[in-house]
Amino acid sequence: MSEKELGKKWDRCLADGVTKLGTGLGLGIVFSVLFFKRRTWPITLFSGAGLGMAYSNCQNDLRSHYLLHRRKKQEQ
Amino acid sequence: MAARIWPLVKLATKVTIAGGAVYVACDSGLLGNSEQGSEALEKAKAAVPPALEEWMKYFGLEAQRPTMPRIEFSPVNSWNAGVRWTISSLSDAPTRVSEYTSQGLQYIKDLVK
Repeated sequence: MSEKELGKKWDRCLADGVTKLGTGLGLGIVFSVLFFKRRTWPITLFSGAGLGMAYSNCQNDLRSHYLLHRRKKQEQ
Repeated sequence: MAARIWPLVKLATKVTIAGGAVYVACDSGLLGNSEQGSEALEKAKAAVPPALEEWMKYFGLEAQRPTMPRIEFSPVNSWNAGVRWTISSLSDAPTRVSEYTSQGLQYIKDLVK
C-alpha cells in the first residue's frame, strides 16, 4: 500500500468516525428524549456504538489491501 | 375511550419519530461503510454555509455576519517540521557539545592565565 493510499484511508477513517459519532449522538438524544426520560445512558450507548462501527469500518478498510479477493482467485 | 387511546397514540407517535430518525440515518449512508460516511461529511460541510446564509437572511442578521478568517495552518506540516528539527538537532548535538566544551575550557584557561 502506498503512503498516499494509506493517508487517504486514514482521512476516510477520521471522517467516518466523526460522522458516526455525530449520528450516534443524534440518535441517542432522540431516543433519550422520546423513550428514556432524558437520561444520559442512551446518548452514551448510541455514541459508543457509532464509534465502534467507525472503528470496525476502519479496521476492514485498512485490512482490505492485504486480503486475496475471490474474483482475483477465480481469474487465476 | 379517549383516555385509553391517548397513550397508544403517544407511543405510536414516538415510535414513528424514532423510526423515521433511524431510517433517515440509514438511508443517507451515515451508518454505512467508510466511503459513504466521508461522502456524507463532505455533503454536510458543503451544505452548512448556504444554510447558515439563509438563516441569517431569515432573521435579518445579514450585515452582522463576520467573515471567517482563512487560517493557513497545517498541523501535519507543523508536526513534520518539528520532527525534522528535533532529529537534526539530535544529530548535531554531539558536535556542538564538544565545540562548546572546548570553547568553555579555553575560556577558563584564559581566565586562569
